[in-house]
Amino acid sequence: MRRALLTIAYVLLVIPAGLVARVVRDPMRRSWSRGRQSYWQNSAD
Amino acid sequence: MSDLVLGISAYYHDSAAALVCDGRPVAAAQEERFTRRRHDSAFPARAVAYTLGEVGATLADVSAVAYYEDSALKFRRVLATYLGAVPFGLASFRDTLPGWWTSKRRIHDVIRRELEGLALGPVPEITCRRHHESHAASAFLASPYESAAVLCIDGVGEWATTTIWHGQGTRLKPLVEIRFPHSLGLLYSAFTYFCGFKVDSGEYKLMGLAPYGEPRYADLIRERLIDIKPDGSFRLNMRYFEFMRGQVMTGRGFEKLFGGPRREPEGELTRREFDLAASVQLVTEEAVLRLARTARALTGESRLCMAGGVALNCVANGKIIANSLFDEIWVQPAAGDAGGALGAALAVAIDRGAERAHVGTGFDAMSGSLLGPAYSDDQIAAYLTAGGIPYRRLEPAEMAAEVAKAIAAGKVVGWFQGRLEFGPRALGARSILGDPRDPQTQSVMNLKIKFRESFRPFAPSVLADDAKDYFDLPQDSPYMLVVAPVAEAARLAVEADSDLTGLDLLKVHRSLIPAVTHVDYSARVQTVRHRDNPPYHDLLLALKQEIGSSVVVNTSFNVRGEPIVNTPHEAYTCFMRTNIDMLALGGFLLQKSDQPEWKEELDWRTEVPLD
Repeated sequence: MRRALLTIAYVLLVIPAGLVARVVRDPMRRSWSRGRQSYWQNSAD
Repeated sequence: MSDLVLGISAYYHDSAAALVCDGRPVAAAQEERFTRRRHDSAFPARAVAYTLGEVGATLADVSAVAYYEDSALKFRRVLATYLGAVPFGLASFRDTLPGWWTSKRRIHDVIRRELEGLALGPVPEITCRRHHESHAASAFLASPYESAAVLCIDGVGEWATTTIWHGQGTRLKPLVEIRFPHSLGLLYSAFTYFCGFKVDSGEYKLMGLAPYGEPRYADLIRERLIDIKPDGSFRLNMRYFEFMRGQVMTGRGFEKLFGGPRREPEGELTRREFDLAASVQLVTEEAVLRLARTARALTGESRLCMAGGVALNCVANGKIIANSLFDEIWVQPAAGDAGGALGAALAVAIDRGAERAHVGTGFDAMSGSLLGPAYSDDQIAAYLTAGGIPYRRLEPAEMAAEVAKAIAAGKVVGWFQGRLEFGPRALGARSILGDPRDPQTQSVMNLKIKFRESFRPFAPSVLADDAKDYFDLPQDSPYMLVVAPVAEAARLAVEADSDLTGLDLLKVHRSLIPAVTHVDYSARVQTVRHRDNPPYHDLLLALKQEIGSSVVVNTSFNVRGEPIVNTPHEAYTCFMRTNIDMLALGGFLLQKSDQPEWKEELDWRTEVPLD
């Protein structure tokens, strides 16, 4: 039962939210930029 | 009353507890050493009980409990990962969300409940430190340096996977970081998995495998898998990694890139695995060197402290030293997550006003990393007598002399003395020792004593003052976390071995100490000083008197898949199950030939899961 509910939640909630998130701003920041000097982020950010 | 802070790491791998008294570590142990489950991730109930018992305290005496990561922030990263992995992350979502939702995101409650269950007194305030702060604190606050650059590299905690800090006095300032999913530790773990070894366990095997291969995939890794900038910052190409989506590290992307499916665990090792290991090791070293350069540039410091699982890559550590990027480096001996317990406790202790009193002494705060349980001669005698186990009782000087003679004669000796090591390395408290001059030692100890893969190298211990005679090592390496080249003077002239590849390279005797000389003439060295471990130091001195050299083979006192032994009973059991010839158990010397026949109803090797 729990697996079924989690599957439904994944399909109805997580997938749409994830797709929107990736369009707006990838939460994982996956893109490479060969021209970029650095990938460091300030720890304070 | 002294100010006690209890540190805890748990629920990922290598759970541990550490107790800090007025800013100084007084006891620390991994839970696996008590439960006998390797890399045990359960709440470290027995380790907590041990650390408190070591100083005769209860929880009522503890000012604060420090947990090694921020589970709420980690949960947000897990949620972001679910979103980032759509539409392929259903399996991971179903498997992991319930655990996070019901307990792990409310870690304060979980820890409080577990501590209350121990019935060791009222539970004090519980605070959390971020994962990399715990690593950084374990590296810098325990180091001997007044100020230093601090570099932490691991798989992942909350978000950060790589961080640079500036440590000054009691202050640790975070500077820059790389965030999940871009992780040098996870890159290395992906190759560990693809080569058929266990993740979070077999990484050191991959490192040991690397010298057998050629780095012919290094360019491919740089082009396709990781973009490393000149300042060491990097990103992974997530199209090739599966760890965001589920419970495996790699999939079809890796298979296409590297010509076929991953090696099955325990399958035959082929040229491909040797070369993959060499390639990812080379790329990792390049990244670590650039990170170290950036740490120096950002801080202006001439000393470096390191922690995080990747800091256990002692080959990369050796490269930092060999390239003279810093005057000196210091690596936390429990660099992995177990050390997070210590780091969190140290950070909280400093916040509560503790000083780094050890800095003025010039020594680190780790007491040789001998922070675990010890067993008195009275306790050992009671055990031996109750079991009818034959022994001879010796004075310390006699013990050192007898064991040295045995090693010189080619015997393999179990060495059980004093407090158990904290961290993954055996440092001369729970060690199996052998003669490094004998070319057969490596294969005998691998196959007949450790029951492990034949390719795996052994490490040497040597008196610190003698190290330069055998190794090109410009600084001490007390925790066996630096690989150095065997010195030219100790190398043998060998016929060209260019035709040999893979495991055949093991057949060449390359030095005066072949059992600890890897196929690339390297060795993972432990330098020993009297202040860190007097009995072990005295043994090496006795060995030097016996054979003119203080170098000894030092491997952990266990068999493959088993945690390092903790108690006299575990040591005796390991002694009897294997081909160890002699056991120095505290002040008692046991000869295998004197022992009664060892009988077990079941084959113990089926009970110890392979690592």
